Amino acid sequence: MMSANRWMATGNYFTTYRQEQRIFATHVDRLIFALFLVVLFSWPYFIELSTKYMLVIDNILIAVIAVYGLNLITGFAGQISVGHAAFMGVGAYTVASVAGVIGDRHVLITHAWPLMILLSGFMGAAMGLIVGLPALRLRHLYLLMATLSFQLIFQWVIGSMEFFNQGQFMYVGRVHWFSGQVSRSQHYMFWYYALLVTVVVCGLGFRNILRTRYGRSLVAVRDNDRAADAMGMHPGFTKVFAFGLAGFFAGIAGALQAYLNRGAGFETFTLHESIQYLAMTIVGGLGQLTGCIFGPAAIRLLDLQVESLARWAGEILPSSLDLATGLRPLSFGLVIVLFLIFEPRGIANWWRIMRSYVKLWPFRY
Amino acid sequence: MKTKKISIWMIVAAVALMLAAPGSSTAGEVYKTALSLAITGPTSDAGNPYSKGAEDYFRYVNDMKLLGDDTIECTIRDDKYETAITKRNFEEFLDMGIVFYLNYSTGSTLALKRDFDEVKMPTLPASFHAGNIEGSDYIFLPIASYSAQNIGLAEYVVDHHEGGTPKVAMYVHPSAFGREPVKDIEKAIEAGLDIELVETVEHGQDLDVTAMIQRWRSKGVAYVISQTVQSPVATMLKGAKNMDLVAKHFGEKGKMTFLGAHYTGGNDLIALAGDAAENFFWTTSYIVTSEPGAGAEAQLALAQRYGRDEKTANSHNYANGIMVAQVTTEVIRRAKAKGKPVNKENLYQELLEMNGMNAFYPVTTVGPVTYSKDDHQGVDTLQLYVVDDGEFRAEGKPFISEYAEKIK
Amino acid sequence: MTYFFQLVVSGIVVGSIYALAAIGFVLIYKSSRVLNLAHGQLIAAGAYITYTLTVYCHIPIYVSFVLSMILTFFLAMSVERIFLRRLIGEPIISVIMVTIGLMSIIDGVIYLTPFGSENLSFPSFMPSQPVVFQGIYISYTQLAGVLITFLLIGVFSWFFRKSTVGISMRAVSDDQMASMSIGISVPRVFGLAWATAGLTAAAAGGILGNIVGLNFDTLHAFGIIVFPVVILGGLDSLPGAVVAGIIMGLIQQFASGYLDGNWGLSGTASLLPYIVLLVILLFKPHGLFGTHEIERV
Repeated sequence: MMSANRWMATGNYFTTYRQEQRIFATHVDRLIFALFLVVLFSWPYFIELSTKYMLVIDNILIAVIAVYGLNLITGFAGQISVGHAAFMGVGAYTVASVAGVIGDRHVLITHAWPLMILLSGFMGAAMGLIVGLPALRLRHLYLLMATLSFQLIFQWVIGSMEFFNQGQFMYVGRVHWFSGQVSRSQHYMFWYYALLVTVVVCGLGFRNILRTRYGRSLVAVRDNDRAADAMGMHPGFTKVFAFGLAGFFAGIAGALQAYLNRGAGFETFTLHESIQYLAMTIVGGLGQLTGCIFGPAAIRLLDLQVESLARWAGEILPSSLDLATGLRPLSFGLVIVLFLIFEPRGIANWWRIMRSYVKLWPFRY
Repeated sequence: MKTKKISIWMIVAAVALMLAAPGSSTAGEVYKTALSLAITGPTSDAGNPYSKGAEDYFRYVNDMKLLGDDTIECTIRDDKYETAITKRNFEEFLDMGIVFYLNYSTGSTLALKRDFDEVKMPTLPASFHAGNIEGSDYIFLPIASYSAQNIGLAEYVVDHHEGGTPKVAMYVHPSAFGREPVKDIEKAIEAGLDIELVETVEHGQDLDVTAMIQRWRSKGVAYVISQTVQSPVATMLKGAKNMDLVAKHFGEKGKMTFLGAHYTGGNDLIALAGDAAENFFWTTSYIVTSEPGAGAEAQLALAQRYGRDEKTANSHNYANGIMVAQVTTEVIRRAKAKGKPVNKENLYQELLEMNGMNAFYPVTTVGPVTYSKDDHQGVDTLQLYVVDDGEFRAEGKPFISEYAEKIK
Repeated sequence: MTYFFQLVVSGIVVGSIYALAAIGFVLIYKSSRVLNLAHGQLIAAGAYITYTLTVYCHIPIYVSFVLSMILTFFLAMSVERIFLRRLIGEPIISVIMVTIGLMSIIDGVIYLTPFGSENLSFPSFMPSQPVVFQGIYISYTQLAGVLITFLLIGVFSWFFRKSTVGISMRAVSDDQMASMSIGISVPRVFGLAWATAGLTAAAAGGILGNIVGLNFDTLHAFGIIVFPVVILGGLDSLPGAVVAGIIMGLIQQFASGYLDGNWGLSGTASLLPYIVLLVILLFKPHGLFGTHEIERV
């Protein structure tokens, strides 16, 4: 009875659908996940990291939350969105404009921040539902255009309305925690924990949504919308639902970004950023939950590496040759293209292969 | 055997390095400063020469031992015009322990304003946005704000216009960077500046401006003040030239005279607009290399010394970069001269005291750099330049905008 | 009234450049169903190649204009050969995302040249005095732009109607399976579609560079305005691209001519195309001339 042993399972031994839908296939997975969480929560007590890298990690975690949303649209529902940064902007500007109206040191902003973040999530979701509306009539190519125009209209609205300070930075005050105001030195560490909790909660939520009928209908519609239609799902509504959900994740990510950056400025939510998130999704692995974590980490770290490489190259090469200028977009583009050509399933696939290797060890497969 | 030999050599090298390292540190103190700017990405056409200017001047200071045995180590980082990267760079600079910071874009300066104040870091941005210094103690604009520049241009129009109230249109960037000076000009008009602001146009990615210019003409616009970057100005000038509406000299009847603030001009404008740029009036506080003088010579000599190409050498943004480096060096020099430790508090104090007899005269600007508790705009003096035969020539004497003070 | 006609003329001038840019976009979509997001980059590449040939190689501008079209023709063809050929048969969504990657790659390559962060303008080769007709102004450069655009459109419509290659391209866009069965090499057609798109992009870039000067940010942004144009015209219709380009030019000119400066509005010309885009998407997603085959879901 191999299948009954949920510790040593070496492959799929599901005998019921319920088994297949478990969040963790084996107890070992669950254990490893728990251990991993312990490591994530405790490493700052053992290792001191510079502020720069703390900020990098925080930004990766924010991108993870955003990419949950984007992967839901692109990986699970099969739609391309080039307006994801704008959805994040909706979240960030929800916090920032509330702060602008009631004052950025109001209790609502500084003490009730989890509530504000949730509110931003709902604002993002509302915007996602609206932008997703054309999905009732259109298929993916056209939705790309809808998200593109949403992105550009968002930029215009933020950039020209006095209410949004014409796209100039709108401040959000420092938050309070049980121990009082979070000071500058604790800022990035505090948000590391807040982000980590959000990433875990959202990740579990993500996994759970995919287990429900709504989640499964997303995949069904992506794979064959006519068949899905025949089976009683409404492809249009399913896609709108995906957009709403993606908007929710983006809104939360945006609000967290606003809190981390202590305000919102329109430069953080441009088309360029939207493309970055898309790249993270591709590189991480479309339609893979683990991809949502690998993608942002890979792209952000690649960026850092290329930056230092360019700096190093700039020192040894004649100053008239601006290698540094071209290297970043070049490597960024190459990574996307190479992944799409040679590893369309992204880094998540390497992870999958590694896992099955370990599971089956010492046998090869 | 071979590996052993190599490892012996490595030990020797390591020992040599260890011996050399303390030896070099006794040579003098190293003052850490940093600059984060867009060397790539949007606005890199300005950021690129700017970074070279700062880099070259700091190198010059160290090479010529202007601070004795002490040296300035300025870390220059590219932020691609992205606020998030600027923030990361700044946090890294803080970890490095910098004593003076040079920033770049309006967006990042505003976004980091509170950080600068919290860590009490004296900061010089490349953006002359008046909003930068609002409610901030630690941000100092190198030269007069965009508002002051635009008001200065408007005043020049008033002073040199013949007959009645001059009709002015403004052509601005579709962002706060473009709009802020418009508000201030409106305030100046309320305060008594005698111009009629007929229309304000925010440009987009326009390929044709004929209609706009015709509309202006039908409304009797005689002067156009632009507050944006070079590329849209070039499009506008080309359009106006097509219709033969560019004034041959200032205030020519029935034609339009085009004027613009710091980032509209410079050699980049001439490069983009070609001969349509003729007779364009431009104001900045920097010297230009096409106008002979001590500053121009110094700038060209510095560029030559460090092998910069001609374009960089003649860029006003190169001068811009040199100037902020000069201010940095000067405050460090002054703090040192007073025997005070070179740290951010003292450098901040030095900046605040940089006025009156203590004003600083870098050769790269047309007037002195003055800062005080309430004056965070460095060079208040502006110089008007006009394009003549493909080169910017000084027009009149340096001046200071009156209304910019009045509307404060 | 002169003002109105001036707006019309300017609208047509601007619109025909849009049309030229949109044609390349439609060509690729028509044959291979790929939305090429890197089209703006191709346009910029064309503009810089023309500039390099004219200024650094001292080739007369007319010749270098044509040469750059040929060079970009091969450039786009090799882009297709290197990156997109491998993805035939993959889901369309990955192919579109490859073009997003291409966007960055071409950006990077342009930044490696001195052009990325410089402002340049073409040496003037046309009389600088404008053509004035009844108080309506049009410069020779613009006039030349419009003429070249219409000439190219004419050549293309002939090409697609009469030449064997053109007909086979149309066949592929109609039905890939059927055209393969009659011996048309589909990959070759894809390559050709990219190549011709590159050619039109170079033409658009050359004209654009002459009119507004060479600034990478500006050329870049131009690539994005192509999207509303092609959606308006219908993604797979060449005449649609031309008509929509001109309509978009007119919309923008009228917006900046009549809306800006009134009721506190400003910069409407840069926003309106995207509003049009949204409206079209909601009410007439196949555009003005597009095939109605779009699957409703």
